[in-house]
Amino acid sequence: MTAYILNLLVLISVYAILSTTLNFIIGYAGIFSLAHAVFFGIGGYTAALVAMNVTPEFFVAVPVAMGAAAVTSLLLALPALRVRGEYFVAASLGLQVLAVTLFSEWKSFTGGIGGVIGIPAVELFGYPVYKPWQFLLMSLICLATIIVITRTLVHTSFGRSLKALRDSESAALASGKNITVIKTLSVVLSSSLAAAAGALYAFYMSFINVESFMLDTSVLVMAMVIIGGTATILGPLLGAALLMLIPSALTYLSFLPQTEIGSIQQMVYGMAMVLLMIFRPGGIVSSHPGGSK
Amino acid sequence: MSTQLNIAQETAKPVPGSGFIGSTDDQDVLLEISNLSKNFGGLQAINDVSLNLRAGIITTLVGPNGAGKTTLFNMITGHIPPTEGNVHWQGESVIGKAPWKIARQGIARTFQDLRLFTHMTVEENILTVMEPGSWLWQPGGKSRKARRYDKVSQILERTGLTDKRHTRALDLAYAERKFLSLARIMATDSRLWLLDEPASGLDPNSYNLFLRLLREEVKEGITVCIIEHNLDIVVNISDRIAFLDQGKLLADGEPETILNDPALAAIYFGER
Ligand SMILES: Nc1ncnc2c1ncn2[C@@H]1O[C@H](COP(=O)(O)OP(=O)(O)O)[C@@H](O)[C@H]1O
Ligand SMILES: [Mg+2]
Repeated sequence: MTAYILNLLVLISVYAILSTTLNFIIGYAGIFSLAHAVFFGIGGYTAALVAMNVTPEFFVAVPVAMGAAAVTSLLLALPALRVRGEYFVAASLGLQVLAVTLFSEWKSFTGGIGGVIGIPAVELFGYPVYKPWQFLLMSLICLATIIVITRTLVHTSFGRSLKALRDSESAALASGKNITVIKTLSVVLSSSLAAAAGALYAFYMSFINVESFMLDTSVLVMAMVIIGGTATILGPLLGAALLMLIPSALTYLSFLPQTEIGSIQQMVYGMAMVLLMIFRPGGIVSSHPGGSK
Repeated sequence: MSTQLNIAQETAKPVPGSGFIGSTDDQDVLLEISNLSKNFGGLQAINDVSLNLRAGIITTLVGPNGAGKTTLFNMITGHIPPTEGNVHWQGESVIGKAPWKIARQGIARTFQDLRLFTHMTVEENILTVMEPGSWLWQPGGKSRKARRYDKVSQILERTGLTDKRHTRALDLAYAERKFLSLARIMATDSRLWLLDEPASGLDPNSYNLFLRLLREEVKEGITVCIIEHNLDIVVNISDRIAFLDQGKLLADGEPETILNDPALAAIYFGER
């Protein structure tokens, strides 16, 4: 039972990193990306590659994974600079689909459909971290660090520039904001921090394949952000916890036909989304008028 | 006074087509619009407009709705590329430059629909304009930061928004929003202000505050181009009037001259 709960908590913290970093661009820069799982994947594959061929040291594998995602995220920044709104969503969707194909085909990097197996336990200054509670502690510390980083950024001049261009791009331009640099930087930061989640995930599972990095993951993380509440700190955390707990909660309802759990889960998500958008469009933790802050 | 002299010196090179030599009132052209045109599909929104904005005065752009006034602003600030023609700012062409670069060269503007940073507080709206650094930090460290906050306080005081410092822009009343859009450009160090219908819909008190601000700023050396229907502004505040109709510049001169022209008055008062 504790093993089950620890496992769930680790996964929640990994997804909370994803939702927090996606919220950074959705909530503060107004960039609605459906390609967040791509950088989750790049982080995972890169960390696995480093761990298996160089060293499983956390402070080597994670920075390298983040660097790889930072570089590739420029591919996402490109459409973000040119188009807004639904056009950008479509472009990010294209990138997600493209990445899944690459992840499935590029065998030397990703192991193809079969994935990467036998990823060694992560090491902290040479000490392997393999007990679940140790790993939970480590991922919680990562989550806390990332929350502090994004929270700090949001309250600096950079955060103000982001919000300015989110609220009115033309007025931000007329105020002398170099939108190219600001948007690119926000995408690079968000993507490289998402890669840290990927690295944690790869180390934790010791096996990864493309199925964890597909469109459903991107959609799930976006749902976490929107259901929890964009442009808030707590919202994405709450969203991640909620959407990770729903499936487990459902398995405990013994009257439900267990073979249909998958589709019931989808329906619950769907209903929750629809109801929420009707009654609380700002998300559970709303930053909009009528909400608390 | 010294800034005035500087302006004169900086612009004391002959600007193409400005009629610089020998004419007293043609000096100090800050912005020169030459043969500017803009087509939106089949619609000619601006048709071969040439106009100079002179330093230190208020030029008012008048004309019926749809005359192309806002479009003219959009081309000056780089938000819309012109189909033809050129715009020189202190002798240098701005056509093709990114709007943020033009803004940093000293041209500030407001928008007819304000375009405030709605989910940010009044303070943040003003502060962000004073933070030119695009990266994760601002140059100048703590002392510059303190100065920025001081300047915010001053601007809030002058625009009557002190009590609203921590209110979000979208929670402001109408007049307050208009003052915030002014506050935002007061925070820039721009020499030219392009104001798109800043006085429309203001109650008398707000209107008087607006006039006071405008006069103070012009006295400080700010050059203003203002789009306005308000007759008081047209008659009493403006040093020059440019009259635009259906994309064409029909006249450009002293207020009395323009207003005494029966043909223009007919268009202005909508008696076509
Ligand atoms: N971005 C645009 N695309 C197409 N047509 C436009 C655009 N902006 C303005 N127009 C058209 O150009 C004409 C002039 O508009 P505008 O400059 O806003 O007039 P004014 O500010 O004098 O009322 C109008 O007919 C308007 O519909
Ligand atoms: Mg207009």
